[in-house]
Formats: sequence, C-alpha cells, structure tokens
Amino acid sequence: MPRRSRTEFEDEEEVEEEEEEEEEEEEEGRAGGRKRNRSDFIDDAAVEEDDEEDEDEEDEEEQLGRGRKQRMRGSEFFELEAQVDSDEEEEEDEEAEDDFINDAGADLRDEEGGRRPHRPLNLMPEDQEDVEEMERQVYERYSKPSPMEYGDDATEVEQQALLPSVKDPKLWMVKCAIGRERETAICLMQKFIDRPDLQIRSVIALDHLKNYIYVEADKEAHVKEACKGLRTIYSSVKIMLVPIKEMTDVLSVESKTIELARDTWVRMKLGIYKGDLAKVIDVDNVRQKVTVKLIPRIDLQHLANKLEGRDVGKKKAFLPPPRFFNIDEAREMHIRVERRRDKDTGEYFEMVDNMMFKDGFLYKTVSMKSINSQKIQPNFDELDKFRKPGDDADGDMASLSTLIANRKKGHFMKGDAIVVVRGDLKNLKGCVEKVEEDTVHVKPDMAGLPNTLAFNEKELCKYFKLGDHVKVVSGVQDGATGMVVKVDSHVLIIASDTTKEDIHVFADNVVKSSEVTSGITKMGDYELHDLVLLDHTSFGVIIRVETEAFQVLKGVPDRPEVVLVKLREIKSKIERRANAQDSRRNIVSVKDIVRVLEGPCKGKQGPVQHIHRGILFIHDRHHLEHAGFICVKAQSCIVVGGNNDRRSVDNFDGRLLRPSSPFLQSLPPRGPIDNGGRRRGGRGHDALVGRTIKIRSGPFKGYRGRVVEVTGSLVRIELDSQMKIIAVKRDDISDTFGSATPFREQSRYGFGSETPIHPSRTPLHPYQTPMRDAGATPVHEGMRTPMHGRAWAPMSPPRDPWEDANPASWGSTPQYQPGTPARSYEAPTPGSGWANTPGGNYSDAGTPSESNPIYGNAPSPYMPSTPGMQPMTPSANYLPGTPGGQPMTPGNIGLDAMSPVIGGENEVNWLIPDVLVNVLRPGEGPCTAVVREVMMDGSCKAALGSSGNGDIITVHPADIEAVRPKKSDKIKIMSGALRGITGKLIGIDGADGIVKMDDTYEVKILDMNILAKLAIQ
Amino acid sequence: MFFHITLERNMQLHPRHFGPHLRDKLVTKLMKDVEGTCSGRHGFIVAITGVEDIGKGLIREGTGFVTFPVKYQCVVFRPFKGEILDAAVTMVNKMGFFAEAGPVQIFVSNHLIPDDMEFQLGDVPNYTTSDRSVKIQKDSEVRLKIIGTRVDATEIVCS
Repeated sequence: MPRRSRTEFEDEEEVEEEEEEEEEEEEEGRAGGRKRNRSDFIDDAAVEEDDEEDEDEEDEEEQLGRGRKQRMRGSEFFELEAQVDSDEEEEEDEEAEDDFINDAGADLRDEEGGRRPHRPLNLMPEDQEDVEEMERQVYERYSKPSPMEYGDDATEVEQQALLPSVKDPKLWMVKCAIGRERETAICLMQKFIDRPDLQIRSVIALDHLKNYIYVEADKEAHVKEACKGLRTIYSSVKIMLVPIKEMTDVLSVESKTIELARDTWVRMKLGIYKGDLAKVIDVDNVRQKVTVKLIPRIDLQHLANKLEGRDVGKKKAFLPPPRFFNIDEAREMHIRVERRRDKDTGEYFEMVDNMMFKDGFLYKTVSMKSINSQKIQPNFDELDKFRKPGDDADGDMASLSTLIANRKKGHFMKGDAIVVVRGDLKNLKGCVEKVEEDTVHVKPDMAGLPNTLAFNEKELCKYFKLGDHVKVVSGVQDGATGMVVKVDSHVLIIASDTTKEDIHVFADNVVKSSEVTSGITKMGDYELHDLVLLDHTSFGVIIRVETEAFQVLKGVPDRPEVVLVKLREIKSKIERRANAQDSRRNIVSVKDIVRVLEGPCKGKQGPVQHIHRGILFIHDRHHLEHAGFICVKAQSCIVVGGNNDRRSVDNFDGRLLRPSSPFLQSLPPRGPIDNGGRRRGGRGHDALVGRTIKIRSGPFKGYRGRVVEVTGSLVRIELDSQMKIIAVKRDDISDTFGSATPFREQSRYGFGSETPIHPSRTPLHPYQTPMRDAGATPVHEGMRTPMHGRAWAPMSPPRDPWEDANPASWGSTPQYQPGTPARSYEAPTPGSGWANTPGGNYSDAGTPSESNPIYGNAPSPYMPSTPGMQPMTPSANYLPGTPGGQPMTPGNIGLDAMSPVIGGENEVNWLIPDVLVNVLRPGEGPCTAVVREVMMDGSCKAALGSSGNGDIITVHPADIEAVRPKKSDKIKIMSGALRGITGKLIGIDGADGIVKMDDTYEVKILDMNILAKLAIQ
Repeated sequence: MFFHITLERNMQLHPRHFGPHLRDKLVTKLMKDVEGTCSGRHGFIVAITGVEDIGKGLIREGTGFVTFPVKYQCVVFRPFKGEILDAAVTMVNKMGFFAEAGPVQIFVSNHLIPDDMEFQLGDVPNYTTSDRSVKIQKDSEVRLKIIGTRVDATEIVCS
C-alpha cells in the first residue's frame, strides 16, 4: 500500500497540469484511501461505469490480494500508467486500455445528468447490459497473462515481501475535527499540490473511523509541517505512529459476507417489527432484498379506518401484539382482501393494503440491511408460534439450520455421542474420536464401517438417549441439570433435578454430566439458598438465581410468598446463627430436623436451613415448590430425630420422666450414661457449667477444675493447677461441693450404688432436708457414706422391739428419735470419721464412748444390749429391700421408684420383657410394642403391635415409655423388690395402685410408676 | 434387582463394648450402620443376612477404638436401566408422579406417561386415561421401566 501511494504521488508530479482537476481529485481520493472511491465518484458525478468497474476491481482485489492490487491500482489510472509504466507490459495492453478509457469517457459525458439519483448502487435493469459489457471488458483485460513483476501466481512469500517494512514511510494518525475527516484529506491534498515541497506521501480518511485521518510520511515532522495551518486539525494534539504490524489493518477491508439462506431465522432491525423473529423465505442477492415471513402486528381497526379513508390518528402509541392474520376477521371489519397469485412462485397470497399474507403470516420484502442474521437464538416460545399445525418438519429443519449456524467453536469434544444429520450417512450414530478445526473424526457405532470417518462439523449433531443425565451449557437454562425424558429430533426434554420441571433445550446446548445443579447458583455475593435481608422487615431465602434477579421465598410463615429481587435490592446476607424454640420449647438450631405440626405445610419435615426471628426455613426434598423450602414459625414445629431424648426433659408430665429417670440411674456408669449426660447437658443450660469439680478417674484423676462447657458426654474443664482446658467424660468427674440439682443428686446416688454397702436409703430420704441443713460440709459428706443410712435405718427394725421392751429407756434417748436427728448430728464434727469405712462406723457404734459424741451424749443403756445386732453383717441390714423399714411408710415404695435404690439393686433396666410400651420414634407417632428382650446397653428389642406380632425393632430406652395400666389390667412390676412379679391391678388410688399378686394372691399397694401393663399373650 | 452378596467393612467399636458380648455388639452396630444405606455400586443394602468373618481387631491409638474388618452377607437392591419394576405411587403432580419401589424413589415425568393419560387436578391429583378406565393416583401400583438412574440422595428417575 505505501508503495502504491508513493508511486501515485510520483506519477502525479510527472503528469503535470495536463490532467483535469476532477481527475486529480479522483486520484487523490484514491491515494487517500480506497474506501473513499465510491463516494468520491458520487461527489464528482463520475461515471456509473467507472463505479461499476471499481466494484469489480474491489471484488477481484479481495480475491487476489495485494500482489494483484498493485497492478490493478495501476490500471485504474490508465493514463498515468500509459505514461509511467511503459517498460514491459504495454505492447498488448495499451490498445485495450485506451479503448476503455475512451468508452468510459464517453459514457461519463452522456450519462452524467440523468444518472445521479440512481447512483447509490441500486442497479436498474437497464444498467444490466452495460454492466455485462463492462464485465466482459474487464474480464478480457485481466484474463490475459500479465507480464508484470508479480505474476498471477504470486505466492504467499512474495506477498509477504509487499508488507511494509521499517524502510517504508510510516503511517501517522492525526486527530481532526469530527466529521471533517474527508475535508481534511482533501485540504491536505490541495496543499500538497500547491506546495510540492511537502514531504507527505499520502493521506487516508476512513469512513468508519471518525475523528482521525492517517497521513503517510517518513517523519513526524513532515506530518506536522503538512498539518500546520489546517483549521480542521488540532495542532496541539499529538500525532501517533501506527505500528508497522497494524499498518496493513488500516487499509484492509473486512469482508462482510452475509450468508443468507432460505429458512434461516433472522430478526428485524427496524419498524414495528423490530426485534421480531422472522424466517427467510426468499433471498434476492442482486437487489439485496429478502422476503421474510413474520407474525403480523396489525391493528385491524386501524387498518380498516385507514382503508376507508377515515381519519387516522397520527402515530399509534402502542405496538399491536403479534397475532396471526385472520381473513374472516378482516372481512368483518370491511377490509377488502384480495387474493392474488404470485407470478414467480405461483403461490396465492391474500393482499391487504399492499401487504401479503399467507396462512396468517405476513410476507414482507425488506432490504437485507434491515434484518439481523447474526447470532439469532430463537427461543422456544417464538419457534412454537411459528410452528403451525402440519408444519412440523418445516419448523424443525429451520431450527436445525439455525442451530448449526449458531454453533460455537469447539462444539464437539472427544467422546461426545453424535448423529449425522446430513449427507449420505444421515442418521449414523457414533462417537467423536478427534476434532480438527471443522472436521470431526467419528467412530461409527455400526459394525462394518471403517474405524473412523471424517465429517464436517455441520453434518453432525449431538445425540442423547433417554435417561441420560445432562447439563445445559448454553442458552436460557444455562447450568441446569436433569435427565433426558424425551428426545424430539434435536430438541431434548429434560426433567430438572431440582424442580422436576420440564426444560426444552437443543441437543447442541447440552453435555452429558453427572453433576446436579439448578442452573447458576451464584450472583454477586449471594448464593442459592442463602438467607438474605431484603429490607428492615423482610427477609427470605434465595430459591432460584436467574440471569438478573433472584427468586426469594420471603420469611412469611403460613403462606409462601415468592418475590423477584434484583441483586442491588438485597441488603445483606444473614449469616448469624440463631436459635429458636419449637412448640415444646426445645431449642431448634440449624440442621436440626423438624416436623411441621400445623399450618398449610403440616406434616412436612426436613432439616432447618436457616433461622431468623423465630422463623424457620426448612428444606424438604419432597417439597417441590420453592426449591423445597418451607417457611414456618418455629412455634409450629417440633424437633425430631437427633437429640430426640430432649423431648423427655421438656415433657414434664412426669409420666415420661419418671420411668426414664430410674433408668438413667440404673445405667452402668460407663454405659449409656453419656446419654443421660447429654440429656442433662441440654444446650448450654447445664447446671454443671461454672462449677468446680474434681476429676475422679482418667489421666487427670485428682485434678480440680472449673467446668467450662458441657457437650454431650464430655465436659470441658479448666484445670485449676494447669493453664489448660481439658475434656473429660462426664462420668469421670465428681463435684467437690454438694449437689444442687436433683438430677445431680440422683446421679450421684447412682454412682454410689456401685458400692455394695450402699445403704437402704429409703428411710433416709425424709431426713435429707434436715441433714442438709446441718451444714454443707462434713455432714453432707457423711450422707454419702453408708454410715448415715446405718445410723438410721438399721436402727429402725430393732427399734420396735426395743420400744416394746422398755419404752421408757428409749424415750430417754431422744437423739435417736427420727424427729431430731439434726441435733444429734450437729454436734459431732467428726462426721468425716464416720465416712471412713463401714468398719469404722461400726467400731464407732460399738464403742460410742470413745470417739462419738453422739453416743456419748446419749448414754444409752442399750448399747451393750444391742451388740447382737451389730455383729450382724451390715449388708443384710442394708439390703435395699429391707422390708423392715417399709411397713412403716407404705407409700415409700413410690419414693423408691424415684430414688436410686432401685438402681442400686438392679443395675440393668427398668424395662422388663413382656411389658407393653409406647415407642416414640423420631418423626413418627407413638406406637405400641411389646418388649421382647432387654439388651446389655439398655436398649431393647420390641415387637411392634399391641400383641407383639409386628416387626421387631431395636429401640433405645429413652424412646420408650411403659403403658400405664388401667384397672383390672394384668401388670408386671418393673422395679423394687418385687421386680418381675406379675399381678393384676385391682384398683388405683391416686399415684398408687392396688395390686393383687399372681403367685401369692397378696394384695399390695405399689406406685403406679413401677407398674407396667403386661402384653396380652 | 436384588442380589445376595458379600461385602466387607471396617467397623470401629468403642472400648466400652469390649466384653463377652463384643461380637453381638459388633453385629448390632453393623446392622445399624449399614442397613438402609446406599452406594452407587451396590445399590441399597436392604438387610444383613449373616456375618461371614470378623477379622482381628486393631486398636487405634489415641481413641481406644478398635477396628474390626467384618465380612458380611447382605441383600442389596440395585435398580438398573431398563429394568422393569413394580412401584407404589407416592405423589402425583403436573410434572409427573413419584413412586417408590422399596427404598428407591422414582420420578416419572409426564412425558413418559402414556400420551392418552391426562393430568387431573383435584382433591386427589391423578393421571387418567381418556376412557377413565385407568387412573394413576397416590397409592396406585404401577409397573414401570427404569430409563435412567442417578445416585445422590438415593434418588432414581425412571419411566
């Protein structure tokens, strides 16, 4: 290019004045840039033929490339060439060229006047002949072998040689006033003519580049010199150098070849149909016209008015919706519908107001420029509208061709299943082996074919089978996954994984995938299923992310409210972890499984995903709407599963509690006691927290510390002696202080029960209070020891005889009166002494005078008289059963039930085979079952059904409660001395039941809580 | 399809279970852990029928847990593509219906329901043939063919 321009300028110098001004300008225009050619001609009213020739040249140039261009350039300036390039080629060419010039000249003169209006490209039929003539001439000229330096077969290397090098003049980009680019170029040219000392080579103004012109020159200074004084050029602006590599780009023409074929989808660019989808029916490349099929947007009323010549409103404010044209409707409106036959196609059209209709579609012929054929992705709605009944095949073909046209690069990948859609091997299936540019190597599924076949990309289409799990990779549904449930040629119907909704997609937009998503899941800072704050009062969970907005299920209980929210309308994400209380005041936290008890979502169940202001968002995967999210008030839910035994804590109706508490105590200490621990631990409201304790066993045995936290069966303890926090088992610790909560107390007794010498504490119970009053420390300590019990309980049986024997003396020893124990114990500090060993106690007892002030204080004559009793093995006395004590307090069996005595006696379970129980399983209603077997760890096997003929399940005792027997039910005693004995409940008296034993026929009054209904065998 | 196969699993046992009933404990725990689970390879483990072998336990340092390799026989249920199953309908909606065949959740899209069956909304949503002779509603029994399976939350889509 630079070369060319240079020669032109040089030529021009030689040409001197003999050229007409007009022609000079023309040349200058060329020098300035080929782009301008046509318009220059227009401006200068140049010849149509020239114009035509130019076009031809351009076409050819495009095809032949630079090598050719140079020569053609020359040919444009025939006269110059004739003079300048006189070296080799002239002999043959000259004549023809001269002829040509003359002809052209003549034409120019002749046609100058009349042609002007038609100038812009729109070739009239009359022109055809001339054009053909032209073509012929041009063809003749160029078909001759040219003896020029660059042959027709200029190779790429030769072409490369033409590219600008460092030695060539450079291109400078000069800023000028907008819209004055051409003017500037002309001015520069004029200046060049006027002042030959200017050292610029050429000036280029490009139509598509506003605000800049290019100047070719060797040095920047030359450009500045040339630009000096031009009012359209801002002198202050810097002149920029175009890099050598980009120089060719400045003048290269991008080929805009619009491939418009029939049946492709296009969109209208202008008018009321702007943006509407249309289908190409016919293409007239010569006239640059296209006939398209559209769904008409016609206001019939308006049309009718117009046709009748009535007053028509200026411009319609509204856009009529697209609707098929109905002739009958039109006739009703008195619109004249003509039926005409198209002379080319022979098809009939309905003509209304110069509009052609067929089958309700509008057929419109428009300029190619007014349609957009690139990157058309018709969506299914639009396509559906176009598809009229009986039009299926047509519609499909169209979509397929559009589909293929819209394919991206690298569409196929190795391993893709494909089907051949065109050519001889149509419908052949196979899988992709290799992809090379447009060629795809396919391994056909069919036997007997070569290993791989090569196909053009356009001949192939992806192929999916029913049941394939796929992911959508482009289009509106981008990112969604699902399973193919229907294959309709190239359209797949996919059942989405998350919503189970149908998705229609083109096979091309889909890849096989095993992942599960619901489309895009993230936008901005927010992700799918995030809890977000919408404004001060409302919040919700994102249940769907769309391209520009989120669908949010608002936190309004009872009725699902979904809103579409833009990204910027979301205030923030709520990440705070909150808790709430369910209907039974259980603490509900995130991930807990809850069941909805009331409201429209009653019965739904699922893990809690978010909690905010007492409102739970539950995810139920069986719930199809709102991505499975349910919004409920915490109060209308109940926690199930997981820590279901929490329920028993909250269920303070006693019935549930009491049977379970003996169980807890009776557990082997290292067994499921941790369950009990967790239970008591609850959620942070454990009484143990903050207490100073001592570790009883384990590696930290003997350490003291403060309880920091209780989690399940573990207790985190901050050691007093070391700067650390350790976790120990709950049953490895003991309080240094007395107990505070009843639970604690009981459990301690539970531990105590391990020692065989555990006293029968039954009678002791009533005295607990005074004991405690007696002082927190030593006495209390003593309480744990057998001494205590012995002090009272063993005394009691013999007491009666003594009383009988000599009541007077008994009376003189008031210390032993149950009513005044406190005093007697208050005095002695050495309670610790008692606590030592039972043996010690005995010795104490035996020799009261020695150390025990009590006995000292009570100089009882009976001491000597009771040794007989003392030598008795204490254990006998201490047997929990000690019926001796019991008759005095008939109701104390009831106490037994609650007290650990039972535990002491029976380390297993309160559960006993054959009793009828209610099984409370998480997430289900209670059901009756019969205990079949009690296992080591306390859990038991129970057979479902009231008669025990259902399935056998293994249940945790915490999930069981005994069925409370009714009057005249057969019962079994679950605890106490009579454990395991069956009987019949003959009456109920408050909390006591009157039981008639089966074997002894005795009638006993027993606490209802230890009675369980016996299964009907 | 049901299979009776032998599987192996490493069981971790808490030291508190050590004692005469260790073996029972182990089996109980195995049942608790394994029954009802689902794997892509074997499908659902329906029931353990027997324990073949309990290997030597290995005490894990630090925790005191003991790991036993346990070989057990079990019945597994694995749905296959193309398999024909009987299932009970659990839910019907306009997108199709859900059915259960034992532990397997099945979704049948309305595209895969015979064309002459139409969705009827109402108290009991159902799919009914045009002559009203066949009705698919909740608790109906259907026979279906599995067209695809997906193992995640133990769900399988079928027709």
